[in-house]
Amino acid sequence: MIEFRLNGEAVRTDDAPDTPLLWTVRDSFKLKGSKYGCGAGLCGACTMHLDGQAVRTCILPIAAVAGKDITTIEGLGTPDSPHPLQAAWEASSVPQCGYCQPGQIMSAAALLSANPNPSGEEVETAMAGNICRCGCYPRIKQAILDVAKAGHEVQV
Amino acid sequence: MNAVNFSRRKFLRNTGVAGGGLVIGISLAGCGGGLPALRGSPGSLVPNAFLEITPENIIRFVCPRDEMGQGVTTGLTTLIAEELDVTPSRIQIALAGPHPDYDNPAFGMQATGGSTSIFAHFTQLRQVGADVRALLLRAASEDLGVPVSSLGTDDGHVLLGGARHPFGDFAATAREPPLPEETPLKRASDFKYIGKDFPRLDGMDKATGRTEFGIDVEVPGMMRAVVRRSPVIGGTVKRINSEAAAAMPGIAHIVQIEEGIAVVSEKYWQAKQAADALDIEWSLPALADVTSAQVKADYKAAMDAEDGDATGEQGDLSAGFAAASDTVEHDYWTPYLAHAPMEPMNAVVHVEGDRAAVWCGTQGIGAARSIVAKVAGLDAEHVEAHSTYLGGGFGRRGTLTHVAEAAQISKATGKPIHLLWSREDDMKSGFFRPASLMRIKAGIDDSGQVSAWFAKRVGGNIMPDVVEQMLPFMLPNAVPDGVVNWLAGAVEGAMDGWIVDGVSVEGLFEDYDFPNREVRHVTKDHGLPLAFWRSVGHSFTAFAKETMMDELAEMSGLDAVEFRVRNTRNNPRLQNVIKAAGDHMRRMRPTAGRHLGFAAHHSYRTDVAEVAEISVENGAIRIHKVLCVVDCGLAVNPDVVRAQMEGAIMFGLTAALHGEINIDAGEVTQSNFHDYPILRMNEAPEVEVVIIDSDAHPTGVGEPGLPPIAPAVANAVYAATGKRLRSLPLKLV
Ligand code: FES
Ligand code: FES
Repeated sequence: MIEFRLNGEAVRTDDAPDTPLLWTVRDSFKLKGSKYGCGAGLCGACTMHLDGQAVRTCILPIAAVAGKDITTIEGLGTPDSPHPLQAAWEASSVPQCGYCQPGQIMSAAALLSANPNPSGEEVETAMAGNICRCGCYPRIKQAILDVAKAGHEVQV
Repeated sequence: MNAVNFSRRKFLRNTGVAGGGLVIGISLAGCGGGLPALRGSPGSLVPNAFLEITPENIIRFVCPRDEMGQGVTTGLTTLIAEELDVTPSRIQIALAGPHPDYDNPAFGMQATGGSTSIFAHFTQLRQVGADVRALLLRAASEDLGVPVSSLGTDDGHVLLGGARHPFGDFAATAREPPLPEETPLKRASDFKYIGKDFPRLDGMDKATGRTEFGIDVEVPGMMRAVVRRSPVIGGTVKRINSEAAAAMPGIAHIVQIEEGIAVVSEKYWQAKQAADALDIEWSLPALADVTSAQVKADYKAAMDAEDGDATGEQGDLSAGFAAASDTVEHDYWTPYLAHAPMEPMNAVVHVEGDRAAVWCGTQGIGAARSIVAKVAGLDAEHVEAHSTYLGGGFGRRGTLTHVAEAAQISKATGKPIHLLWSREDDMKSGFFRPASLMRIKAGIDDSGQVSAWFAKRVGGNIMPDVVEQMLPFMLPNAVPDGVVNWLAGAVEGAMDGWIVDGVSVEGLFEDYDFPNREVRHVTKDHGLPLAFWRSVGHSFTAFAKETMMDELAEMSGLDAVEFRVRNTRNNPRLQNVIKAAGDHMRRMRPTAGRHLGFAAHHSYRTDVAEVAEISVENGAIRIHKVLCVVDCGLAVNPDVVRAQMEGAIMFGLTAALHGEINIDAGEVTQSNFHDYPILRMNEAPEVEVVIIDSDAHPTGVGEPGLPPIAPAVANAVYAATGKRLRSLPLKLV
């Protein structure tokens, strides 16, 4: 039995300790916003926050999150109360197919909370782990810079 | 259904579908069984397959095309919204299940692809909106006791004097037939939404993780399946030892299907681990003897030794070469490619006695239903099919083997099955963009005209693979398998024997005047399954054609733009795009160490020219900026057009810089994003898109941005280094 906090709520699971967090969140807790893209830490589609840090959950066993705070895209914001990045994503029509976008936004949110005013190059470096096959990169980058510039309080 | 229908582009040519005059196949009756999305609330107005207006004035649009990121839900909703007179964001969007009313007018079947959606539905869906608005006005005039002429509309309301009456108030009265037909459409100058920028309608759901993709589907009692397939595509199970796997926690079933062995559990991770523990020996197919080097060598031998089939002849080629002052000949190589959409293949299927259901994100939900019906031994009417959003398509989701697999597993276990392919499965066991060897020999005369153009391609054809895959599922179940196989073989033979598959050479010869030309095709197929891949034939032909045009421009002493202008006298729309991009190029003024390359291409009725600004550092090519000029007729949502150009450029850059699928002893050597790298943000250029102002009928947008980018970069590399690169991916060392 492993216990942790998921989007602010205490949860527990019987999943085997080597189960990647992604699959526990998707299959056992039925939160589908975090995506599977590669299963090997290469694409960022599965990105969540562990105690505020962006982590690749397809290769993170749940044994490693016991007692930790996990935030998924569902915990970041909702259509009624979106995170500033989510609002910017909508306003700038960032998503195409949208499949990579929860991971992109979780990485971007972690970046802005660590570095509220990144340069273009810093954005590129921080986001290089997130693949977007639809090629939304110019808009992702611009939306992050827009949010940073607007000086939103970014909290994770 | 006639097999020719599968030739998505050829079909289009044969039937001559034109901009206007599309037949609207909408039935007022029969909206029961086949339209799950529209089994609306009681009291709703459901005038046709596309719209529902509830008494509460909720307006639902059933989108007939599949949303794979290209913005089709936004685009098609805009068409309805414009004529119905409702703000697009007020309309709720549902995704269509299979029904003939949702056929793509360009194909005569329910499929999304070929950059056709806006082109094919532009008139049809506006007509739907206009007719329903007329219906609501008629009902309002009856209910309010005033003539229609005294009424107006605004954002889902009927206006009378100062009063606003929601459309929904008239839903009951409007249910009386007949539905008005051929209501006059708005003039372009009156458009409120078409041609205007506003945010995509699916943006917030996608930014908050709420969009449901196939991988996210949950149905009660659902189990998860993972399949182990032959390392060489097409191999079959010879011997299986499943003892270790069966003993692993949570494993409910292990079943053999046509493609391999399926492991079923309540949890994906358990199924995945047990599948990895299976001990399987495979019987390998002929493909097992093939390596990439062999493919290349075979193509080269065929290029030199075989004449192949002729197509696209014009004028007198030898006279053209005789008139040439300069002649040049080169070969161009482009490899196999994977589509690698971010969402790997998956499907949920439940076969339950005499009924079945399927949920998936696909470019052809009707075919998905037929496949499930065929596997389950049911009539298609007894299979419910639900579309989800697609986590990328690019042609990969026009293939459906994963649906057939899920159906087999569900049939064997009696459970609803969620089948997920891993990234490795997708990379190694999927379908691929065919490899090509192309040869171009061209002559130019003293006036800078291309006087002779000989182009030849060697490679596999996509159409026979598509037909072979789809035909068994598109015929009635009553047709015996033997007949189906014979038919599939006959179609394939026919395509190999006496016609050139149009998509194998498209784009190799059509764009320029070329008064004397000849195109030949030699089919060489080593058995790797082939599929449409974003921009299909254009994805490789544009590279050969446009790098050759650059070389000819230099030989002629003209600049890249002027040379192309001189050779597009018969193609004014492409010529105009070339000129416009040339004007922008002259203003680009790259700083020291940066160089420009130009390319232009016509595909999917759309003309695009691109300028790449690059630098070369230590042999590495870096793309800093891309300028893209596009004429796609009227841009229904200009920002979506810009996004598609940006996306197609990134997709094309992945192919230009990294993309390569190789085979060794028949096995695909790439497996995941470490050895099949996708362009990342730190490699992505800034993109500027210029849309030519036009009120012509809209043309393709999803694919045409892709073909010019690889040659634009290759031409810039030549400007930077003096080296002509004639193979993809581009490598300097
Ligand atoms: S799915 Fe985790 S990094 Fe790709
Ligand atoms: S939006 Fe499709 S992969 Fe990023």
